[in-house]
Amino acid sequence: MFDSVLFISSAVLVLVGSLGVLFIKENLMHACVSLLTALFGVAGLYATLGADFLAATQLVVYVGGVVILMLFGIMLTGGGTSNENKFGIEKVPGMGSVKTYIVAGVNVLVISLIVIRIMANVMKDYKAVPLPPYESTVEKLGTLLVTDHVLAFEISSILLLGALVGAAIIARPTRRTN
Amino acid sequence: MASLYSYLFLSFFMFVIGMAVMIARKNVIAMLLGIELILNAAALNFVAYTRFINQNLDGHIMSLFIIVIAAAEAAVGLAIVIRFFQVRESIHVDDATQLQA
Amino acid sequence: MNESLISYLSQFEGHQAFVKMASEMAGTDLTSTISFMIYLAAVLAVVGVMATIGGLGTYAERKISADLQARQGPNRVGPFGLLQMLADGVKMILKEDIIPRDADKFMFVIAPLLCIVGVFGSLAVVPFSSGFILTDLNVGVFYLLGISSLVGVGIFIGGYSSNSKWSMLGGMRGASQIISYEIPVTLSIIMIVLIAGGMSFGTLISGQGGFPHQWYLFHNPFTFIGFFVYFIGALAETNRAPFDLPEAESELVSGYHTEYTGMRFAFFALAEYIEVFVVCGVAVALFLGGYKVPFDLGNGEAFSALPPIIGKNIGQFLQLGSFFTKTLALYYVVIWIRWTLPRLRVDQLMTLCWKYLTPIALFNLLMVAVWVYAFEGQSMFELFSSMGSGSSGGH
Repeated sequence: MFDSVLFISSAVLVLVGSLGVLFIKENLMHACVSLLTALFGVAGLYATLGADFLAATQLVVYVGGVVILMLFGIMLTGGGTSNENKFGIEKVPGMGSVKTYIVAGVNVLVISLIVIRIMANVMKDYKAVPLPPYESTVEKLGTLLVTDHVLAFEISSILLLGALVGAAIIARPTRRTN
Repeated sequence: MASLYSYLFLSFFMFVIGMAVMIARKNVIAMLLGIELILNAAALNFVAYTRFINQNLDGHIMSLFIIVIAAAEAAVGLAIVIRFFQVRESIHVDDATQLQA
Repeated sequence: MNESLISYLSQFEGHQAFVKMASEMAGTDLTSTISFMIYLAAVLAVVGVMATIGGLGTYAERKISADLQARQGPNRVGPFGLLQMLADGVKMILKEDIIPRDADKFMFVIAPLLCIVGVFGSLAVVPFSSGFILTDLNVGVFYLLGISSLVGVGIFIGGYSSNSKWSMLGGMRGASQIISYEIPVTLSIIMIVLIAGGMSFGTLISGQGGFPHQWYLFHNPFTFIGFFVYFIGALAETNRAPFDLPEAESELVSGYHTEYTGMRFAFFALAEYIEVFVVCGVAVALFLGGYKVPFDLGNGEAFSALPPIIGKNIGQFLQLGSFFTKTLALYYVVIWIRWTLPRLRVDQLMTLCWKYLTPIALFNLLMVAVWVYAFEGQSMFELFSSMGSGSSGGH
């Protein structure tokens, strides 16, 4: 019951939020707030999937970090929303003709048939087993991170350090030479 | 009750919208928003499969690393955008026509 | 199942009998419905009490500042001016609700709501007593950090959407300050999580005892330093003086809420005061033993003369009193600091965070890990007492 309520409300948040990112064109700030909604919904979906640690991580990283960064970025760049480049050309690249649509459609059909063919074998074996009860994943995740996945863990820490230093160096204002 | 397919549908939806944002928008920051949606869709898939197919937690670990990479990507991406804005005074993708700043 | 209010209540026969009786009368199983009703009541009670505490915070702030400056403070409405809060509330509600013409209306409206949602969301895991915690999530502290960072988004959006230079500067300062100071605060919290071996508030508190030497504050020298790092960081995260740069009156009029009037302004103020309460409560739970008192109260053994159900409930209320006493003492310290120290400059603020607090917190984390590994998680008092029978209890 509560799972369903949480799932439905989170799903609505995700749907509305991601549609907002796509369709709010006038104001990037609004699009960013609607991204926040979608990310909140994803956190709720994680909670319904029993991934408690991931849900909290999603909140901490996205709400506290990424969204505020995005808002800062939008504000520092003026939030320009015009589709014109600096030559005043609003160039929308040609989205193809009938011929390309037909080729693309055939491609999509072939690829999806192959994918369905592959997935069918996998899905035949899938039986809807009764789901395990919710349990804490924190301890298990911690153990896995420093045993099986320790290499990825260390490499991701190096990646984060590199990203921190790189971002600081790139964004640092330099003296204009002219 | 929510099944695996509902999660897969939501994830698919987010992925497609993220891709549409990437294609249709000309604003670099809007494209970054689309990337966030795409990465979240992928992470959601991993967690959904973990819950419904096999109950080992490798999918959670994968999602955790996706979140880490998304954070790093957002930081570096925004740094590049801000630098781009300082140099070209525009955040339109088409204005990025020079490699030298 | 997590420990929560329901699992505390369901150990009493009266609750079980009531659920059974109601289920029989309705013909269906009403256990979850009754749990939901109890939660609803508890949540409403917590929200009401916290809103009152937030309102009383403004009163306490004015009264204590008056005391520190040898003034009277509010003393007209009600006894000792206690009802000033109600008068202010009525005034706030009756004020005209102005949205500036060039403001971004949607964002202007949701900004105070984001602030208040973040703060009230974090109340769900604050441990008031061993029985009265709305839910003891197993990622409790982490959840609290995540949901309370909504306040930063709210402050930033509030500043941006007002379309005023002062608000803009205040919002930028607020957001940068909050995301900067989150790092030392989180590192200090992780330090305690490392010692306790869990992120739920139940685990964190049960690792401590009632006496001060059993608190994590005195677990080892590094947690002692870590407490001050946490406290300074928490002051900055809640935008309290000496870190109230986002609303620096002398430079920015009123910072991010310059353009807000009426109830929207009251939401910002309320969110700030309740957030101070929450961070003080978290400090108490992490470092100062939480609701624990020297003798065991939660299971009612201190009142063995009384029937167990009454003893237990009295014990719970005493634990509530203990928690609130410690938290409000810290609250007093926060207000005291505000009216004592001058405000920092922006560059000093960032220097303090990135050049001092973050390295100290990282070093603390490392040394606590070494300590836990080397001494198998014993606190320094346990070490002293186990070193020799003669030299027990020394510093």
